[in-house]
Amino acid sequence: MTRRQLITGLISLACAFVIFVIPFIFVFINASKSAAETARLSFALPQEWRFWQNLVEVVQARDYQLLLAYFNSIVITVGAITLLVIFGAMVGYVLQRRKSGWNKVIYGFVLAGLMMPPAVVPTIWVLQGLGLFKTLHGMILIQVAYGLGFCILLFRAFVSTIPRDLDEAAIVDGAKPWQVFFRVILPLMKPVTVTVIVVQSITIFNDFTHPLYYLPGKENVTVQLTLYNFQSQFVSQLNLLFMNILLVTIPPLLVFIFFNRQIVAGMTAGGVKG
Amino acid sequence: MAQVVLKNVKKSFGAVEVIKGVDLTIESGEFCVFVGPSGCGKSTLLRMISGLEEQTSGTIEIDGKDVSNAEPSKRGIAMVFQSYALYPHLTVRDNIGFGLSLARTPKPEIKRRVEETAEILQLGPLLDRKPKELSGGQRQRVAIGRSIVRNPKVFLFDEPLSNLDAALRSQMRIELTDLHANLGTTMIYVTHDQVEAMTMADKIVVLNGGVIEQVGSPMDLYERPATPFVAGFIGSPKMNLYEGKVAEAMGCATYGIRPEHVVISDAEGQWTGRVRHVERLGADTIVHLEVPDLGPLVARVEGSRTFEPGQQVKATPMAEREFRH
Amino acid sequence: MRKRSPYPYWFVLPAAVIFTVLFLVPTIASFWFSLTNWDLFDASFIGFENYQQFFSEPFLLRGVVNTLFFAVLTSGAKTVLGLLLAVLLTSGMFAQGLQRSIVFFPVLVSTIGVGLLFTELMHPTEGVINLALGAVGIPGPGWLTNPKLALFSVAMVDIWRGVGLATLIYIAGLASISPDYYEAARIDGATRLQQFWRVTVPLVRPATTTVIILSLIGGLRLFDLIWAMTRGGPGFASDVLASVVYKQYQAGFYGLSTAGNVILFLLIAVLVVPLAFRFYRKEVDQ
Repeated sequence: MTRRQLITGLISLACAFVIFVIPFIFVFINASKSAAETARLSFALPQEWRFWQNLVEVVQARDYQLLLAYFNSIVITVGAITLLVIFGAMVGYVLQRRKSGWNKVIYGFVLAGLMMPPAVVPTIWVLQGLGLFKTLHGMILIQVAYGLGFCILLFRAFVSTIPRDLDEAAIVDGAKPWQVFFRVILPLMKPVTVTVIVVQSITIFNDFTHPLYYLPGKENVTVQLTLYNFQSQFVSQLNLLFMNILLVTIPPLLVFIFFNRQIVAGMTAGGVKG
Repeated sequence: MAQVVLKNVKKSFGAVEVIKGVDLTIESGEFCVFVGPSGCGKSTLLRMISGLEEQTSGTIEIDGKDVSNAEPSKRGIAMVFQSYALYPHLTVRDNIGFGLSLARTPKPEIKRRVEETAEILQLGPLLDRKPKELSGGQRQRVAIGRSIVRNPKVFLFDEPLSNLDAALRSQMRIELTDLHANLGTTMIYVTHDQVEAMTMADKIVVLNGGVIEQVGSPMDLYERPATPFVAGFIGSPKMNLYEGKVAEAMGCATYGIRPEHVVISDAEGQWTGRVRHVERLGADTIVHLEVPDLGPLVARVEGSRTFEPGQQVKATPMAEREFRH
Repeated sequence: MRKRSPYPYWFVLPAAVIFTVLFLVPTIASFWFSLTNWDLFDASFIGFENYQQFFSEPFLLRGVVNTLFFAVLTSGAKTVLGLLLAVLLTSGMFAQGLQRSIVFFPVLVSTIGVGLLFTELMHPTEGVINLALGAVGIPGPGWLTNPKLALFSVAMVDIWRGVGLATLIYIAGLASISPDYYEAARIDGATRLQQFWRVTVPLVRPATTTVIILSLIGGLRLFDLIWAMTRGGPGFASDVLASVVYKQYQAGFYGLSTAGNVILFLLIAVLVVPLAFRFYRKEVDQ
């Protein structure tokens, strides 16, 4: 490393710290203060560290609503991801392996699903007709519908790296189409499956807009809705609001630390092709 | 043990006809090699026998049964792929036993049969490894093991040696020939390498442009090629072939003479030529001549003889070895 | 046809059913409902009245204009800053990997969390930003309370949150450029700046297209950040289409809300789809 690289690095690190890290430190400090202290929103360290008390208070607020919210969010995320991986991989596989005129049609829908805004009120109308409005099942299926495009593109790209000979060897061995897929192809897709799981779980866990529309009601709150609702409740207790923000920031931070590589792979997929 | 019969088999991809009507009988227990240049349709033909590719018309019989419409797994065939196609996520044991487990064979029987197969191929110590931990030759053996364990009536090989280096390839040729001798099963083997065809086959089928040029034993094809294509394709170095005026002068449309059937002498001979280039292989020497009456002529002579570029020599074809078409 | 393909179309079926019922059907239905006066049970056809209203009521039209402004501003800024950051973060400088992570991390954080946090940081009298500006003698503006500034402030936060993704895509794009081009350019006597304009910018174009597509879509559809920070206020100053759609839905004007949705749909169809289809066609044709 040259001297110049060291100096630019230090300057740029300082800037990055001020712009991107200080806000999070601000959250942490203020989540540790008393309500009266946070009202001043200062950067000063707390006179009295109340981190743990604030945490307990946030969790207990509104009859442990936060715990219910975490439970709901986890159910939605896990349910949707399970379906997304299986159904998305099946489509990606057939789309890559079988060349036909239908492929372009399917592609059109995949891209539309990636880009187009969902028509929210008509979706509520459909969900009501199916008895899925305000239900976790409905929310899971919605997340599947909205996430399929991304998953299909990723899985399709990965299937193209699995040699066709493997399918054919399995067919000669007597495998039915579903056995070829579930016993040979799906186990080989582990790397891309991890990427899909990580990226989609962050997306679904952080989703605010769709639960806001399709999952109203106190018993159905998700983590993001709770966070939003607390804003009005905690006007005089900003310390608790910051504690809450801290709590929604930690899960992605952990995921990021452990799955950095997969996240980068998933987020940049398609970006360098062409 | 089964006979394979193809009747007027054709295959088109879109408007392109790649197999233009093939009739062929492969006898029970025969080692039959399909050989030809790339794009001649040999792999397509094999894949139609396997059932992985569907013929456009015609029928395929295996062991007296019409299997034209049968699933690959119902045809009594096993196939070894060029890439080996070993399942990367399964151990050698599970790779070999995969087909049996799909057929819901009881576990103890799978174990017994896998171990028997491993015995034949000396794979015993490798059974619990993954394919990526094996060498090229070992992978090849596992791929063969996966075929053997199914007790097929017919083995199909799609260029199975082309990913191996030269030394390993000649060793695997011998192993495959031994395997055929031991099992006595019908084997169909696709290759573009005429050396493999000559050394292993009972019967060679030469394909070119989607049609069969000639069917016969290796020596048949070498000694009595039916067409100029076969004459040029079988044998190394290639037969010297002449068309046009040169051939007309010999009284045929195509005239050919193999390099090993050209006699070179300093004193006298039918043709006079100048040495352009000499390849010394040790046991043999390949001499490239420029003959005014013919054009370029290649001759193969004993390694002990020496020639200098530019030297004038006489060349004579062995009369009974000439190819006229 | 005798034999069935080993890649049967029923594999597509579960995904197709979910996608059709929950995405396609509502989308197609939205075109009809946008032409009606609708309360979820009865819809009476009123022609283009909803659209007329959209383009004649100043507060609705404001949403359309704001949406375009927001999308163009944020996507332009993310493209430019993303490329510059990516070049900086691939220059081999000190703590490069750590800095990439720092820049990227906000992408993964809950938008609502980011929105609420910056609402406090941008507080006109007690926010850290204005306190810091005050300390050096600059009177800080009312970032979110000044109607002229509110949308711009939200855009700043959106750029803060999203530039990491653009940077990441550009880093991947830069990595795919062979160093041979730079060496050839250096032998030809190109300066660093010339190398950037003549080699980097043209060769990184696929990444640029991706960044523009993604950030335009994100910008046009943005809802959560606006909602967390201003709820479209003050007044209607920072309303965008997505927040108008939500407000009209809450107010029970389902037909009008759906018309807003259709307008957003058409905006993306006109602005982004042609770009995206040209970009993805190569992949489709493989």
